[in-house]
Amino acid sequence: MTTVGEALISLLEAHGVDTVFGIPGVHTVELYRGLAGSKIRHITPRHEQGAGFMADGYARVTGRPGVAFVITGPGLTNTITAMGQARADSIPMLVISGVNATPTLGKGLGYLHEMPDQRGMMERLALFSHRITDAGELPGVLARAFELFATSRPGPVHIEIPTNVMALPAGSLSAGSANTTAPRAEMSAMVEAANLAIIAKRPLILAGGGAKAAGTPLQKLAELLDAPVVTTANARGLLHKHPLGVPASPSLKAVRALMADADLVIAVGTEFGPTDYDMYGDEGFLLPANLIRIDIDEAQLGRRPATIDIRADSALALEALAGLIEADRRNDRDRASGAARAAEARDAAWQEIGADMRAQVEVVETIRDALPGSIIVGDSTQPVYAANLYYDHDRPAGWFNAATGFGALGYGPPAAIGAALALPDVPVVCLSGDGGFQFTLSELGAALDANAAVIFVIWNNRGYREIETSMRDVGVEPVGVSPAPPDFCRVAEAYGIAAERLDDLSDLAAALKLARATKKPYLIEITVA
Amino acid sequence: MTDKISCGSRLMQLLRAYGVDTLFGMPGVHTLEAYRGMDDAGMRHIGVRHEQGAGFMADGYARMSGKPGVCLLISGPGVTNAATPLGQAYSDSIPMLMISSVAATKDLGMGRGRLHEITDQSQVTAPLTAFSAIATSPDQVREYVARAFALFESGRSRPVHISIPLDVLTAIDDKPVTRRAARGSRAPASAGIADATKLLAEAKRPVIIAGGGSVRASSQLVALAERLGAAVVPTIAGKGVIADSHPLALEATLDRPATQAMIAEADVVLCIGTELAEPDIWLDGPLPMNGKMIRIDIDPEVLVRDYDAAVAIEADAALALADILAALPASIPSKESHNQVARIRAAEREALTPLERKHVKVLDALRRAMPDDGVVYSDMTQLAYTGYAFYPCAGPRQWIFPAGYGTLGYALPAGIGGKIAAPERPVMVVVGDGGFQFTLQELGTAVEQKLPMAIILWNNDSLAQIRDGMISRKIPTIGINQHNPDFIKLAEAYGCRTASPQSIEALEQAVTAALAADRPTVIEVRESAGFLA
Ligand SMILES: Cc1ncc(C[n+]2csc(CCOP(=O)(O)OP(=O)(O)O)c2C)c(N)n1
Ligand SMILES: Cc1ncc(C[n+]2csc(CCOP(=O)(O)OP(=O)(O)O)c2C)c(N)n1
Ligand SMILES: [Mg+2]
Repeated sequence: MTTVGEALISLLEAHGVDTVFGIPGVHTVELYRGLAGSKIRHITPRHEQGAGFMADGYARVTGRPGVAFVITGPGLTNTITAMGQARADSIPMLVISGVNATPTLGKGLGYLHEMPDQRGMMERLALFSHRITDAGELPGVLARAFELFATSRPGPVHIEIPTNVMALPAGSLSAGSANTTAPRAEMSAMVEAANLAIIAKRPLILAGGGAKAAGTPLQKLAELLDAPVVTTANARGLLHKHPLGVPASPSLKAVRALMADADLVIAVGTEFGPTDYDMYGDEGFLLPANLIRIDIDEAQLGRRPATIDIRADSALALEALAGLIEADRRNDRDRASGAARAAEARDAAWQEIGADMRAQVEVVETIRDALPGSIIVGDSTQPVYAANLYYDHDRPAGWFNAATGFGALGYGPPAAIGAALALPDVPVVCLSGDGGFQFTLSELGAALDANAAVIFVIWNNRGYREIETSMRDVGVEPVGVSPAPPDFCRVAEAYGIAAERLDDLSDLAAALKLARATKKPYLIEITVA
Repeated sequence: MTDKISCGSRLMQLLRAYGVDTLFGMPGVHTLEAYRGMDDAGMRHIGVRHEQGAGFMADGYARMSGKPGVCLLISGPGVTNAATPLGQAYSDSIPMLMISSVAATKDLGMGRGRLHEITDQSQVTAPLTAFSAIATSPDQVREYVARAFALFESGRSRPVHISIPLDVLTAIDDKPVTRRAARGSRAPASAGIADATKLLAEAKRPVIIAGGGSVRASSQLVALAERLGAAVVPTIAGKGVIADSHPLALEATLDRPATQAMIAEADVVLCIGTELAEPDIWLDGPLPMNGKMIRIDIDPEVLVRDYDAAVAIEADAALALADILAALPASIPSKESHNQVARIRAAEREALTPLERKHVKVLDALRRAMPDDGVVYSDMTQLAYTGYAFYPCAGPRQWIFPAGYGTLGYALPAGIGGKIAAPERPVMVVVGDGGFQFTLQELGTAVEQKLPMAIILWNNDSLAQIRDGMISRKIPTIGINQHNPDFIKLAEAYGCRTASPQSIEALEQAVTAALAADRPTVIEVRESAGFLA
């Protein structure tokens, strides 16, 4: 006899899931019955927040949804910060939780782990939340989730299974067919867009996280139009070292000047969120007047006025647009040099961020150059904020962090573990502050368990310096911003992870290479003077 | 005349007016304005390592002091990080006030992708609170704070979340603060008291079940039990409301067969301040009762939930019990139930499993080392499941357990909150190797605050409770035997004292020394230790 719990596992397998992150509890044990006989690997974090962030890191590097299994009540509320981050950053995530037995729901009887309205809460956070009351619902609900991840703006989805349903017989179920074809743009809008583009003299492209997987057509279009490409934090790595690349934040005056100077802006997969476009809240950001917008999300397009809205998958739209322009002999050959405009913006941006931040960006560059092709997962710490302003990563989807969007501290370590498990052959570095690292430091244990060879680099400036600076800026006497950090190397050693402390940044590259050579998790603490 | 200060600064004065002197929190750019006013208002700020810690500390503070615990958090992740503590406080009826920032009013619900943005912050916490509101002006901040404290003081306490938009936090607020008077405790209706008194006076085998709602009625409860000669069974939250050493007291054993049989046979069961919830009775359905039930509760919904009570009294526990005591006739027939107490207690100890006997050995040692006014904060670990029943307490609220919501990682931060509320009282934490890792970073907070605490780490190298559940249901054991750190090294990395006692005497000594130290001590006890065999 197959139970609902077992059927769920085979359906997940059928949808290509190979890893789930979870902490079992009495309310989810039935989900584990089918796991042993499946090909799905189970990774156990030390806190469900870790499960959520690991699923996120896994999804960012694979493009496939990260899956978490958690218990009802505290297990689920422990994951909601990760769901909030995934919602803000459009990351596909499937959170499957238990819920108390159906006859008890909503009555407030005080059952263990009971919440008055678990799904009511999830509906505020997830793209949708569904309760399975009958085995027959499983294929359809999973198909709906996977279809959504593939064809619209992704985010977290929640499915809850009551404890009395998990062990019911499920019969034989086959995976529902999910339509995962990415949406194409309407031809008429594309023709209109191409017509605008070919006559532009100073076109510019803004690429956001939604363009991560569209590197080739993006570069082709940029070259056809001789258009500089500004990348938001989530898009870094696109057009690495390319003369048209501008890996700098639109919050900077230099980049805003470049935008103001453009006579056409093509925005691809970017929501114009203030953490990229208006970091300093100076409201100095102006939406370009002549704007073509490509986005997979209808609602996003509706939020800001554009000359032409194109609802489509970014790679498909960019390819189509480049194709139309390439075939059109009217395409202007006599444009203001894109490379020169890009270079000017880069230089000005680099100057603008100032000496302190330049030094911090150089730390990130040291990591990149010591371990080419690596994935650097950041937390909200000074060098990460600095690099979000200006930094050119060497591969798409290889630089991401939670300093933008939801902005949850403690994201870095578990997300890096999730990434390393998904891509075991790629070097993964987690760059975190002493404050942020402590949010999720027990996940060192999970890294060791699963041999996720993450190199944890801790920027130890002994406090919440980003916040201390903000307090001083607004004339508040700093309070609560200097918590004494633990001895991080000893923490790592307690977990059985090799560690070293660097007082001198010039040793960083060598330390990283050594760490990578161990093929095991490793911790490097940088004591910041 | 008052000064022109920001709403955030004024909030600190307002909270002071309501008797709040300690906040648990972590600053962020969104809450700066509240920090501006802290010093001037004489507010103490306890900085945490994760907002979950702030929430649990506020909870532990409230359980120790009876006063609301207050935390101050940033929008978005700060709030979602504290959702689990809200859930815990909700299910255990703990007064907790969570104040947070939220996006500026012009940005609320606009989906602009601002930093820390969340679709609908107040709706996310609504299911976990008595109310969750956004204060859109400094006046509304006053109103919601007044409403929160009225609720804490007069009704069934539950957490409250007040979100203050960024533009409101910085708005000028030049009005002085005042504290509004709250309604006092609810007195019972006299008809219910008369009916209850009659039933109790005539009962032959009365039993009292005393829940968390009775902890402030300890003296009335004991007096009534003695007048009636009634056995008293506390729930976990009610543990100690009658001293465990009292001849009428059963231990918190509502989930054990001998106690359940006695309740089934009672002719009158007085249930006071208890939901009779699953984590206390561990039955899939109501507790069997063949006699008449009298229910006293502050929450009218609880009075009618799941059981057909013969008498239901909506009232504050202490007032209702005092009225019943006063109404009892001078002489009442003698009762039989108390004769059974000693026998049932013996039967339950007799029925302990070998593992539980091991637990009792440890618990007895802990108790010997702990002064009578000591308080234990326990986590979801097997040692605590035995402890809530068999660790003897002298008074109420001395064994704290995250009963309803059942959250791992509760005990350490809650214990820190408790110790901060009552520095003069000895505090012990009992936590498993799995649960400890949920919130271990708060060791940093405990060291920073120089809190002498004995942290008992019960190490069985497993999520044992779940492992055992998998085994008994013939499910392959997955995800329950993780690699554990060297806990002693880890504690040292945070600057804690440590001990790994290898005998019962050494364990007692380690606890005694820990309680007298200048910082926390992690005491690791391994289930497999030879001295426990
Ligand atoms: C969950 C959460 N709580 C609080 C904040 C506010 N916050 C942003 S950065 C920061 C300081 C982080 O300190 P650390 O990791 O040491 O980095 P540093 O700024 O010192 O480089 C804080 C507290 C946040 N972003 N997320
Ligand atoms: C936040 C949360 N996640 C998961 C659970 C499910 N759960 C209950 S007890 C337990 C095992 C805890 O292990 P440990 O702390 O080592 O205690 P032990 O049972 O081994 O004594 C788990 C995983 C829970 N109660 N809370
Ligand atoms: Mg254990």
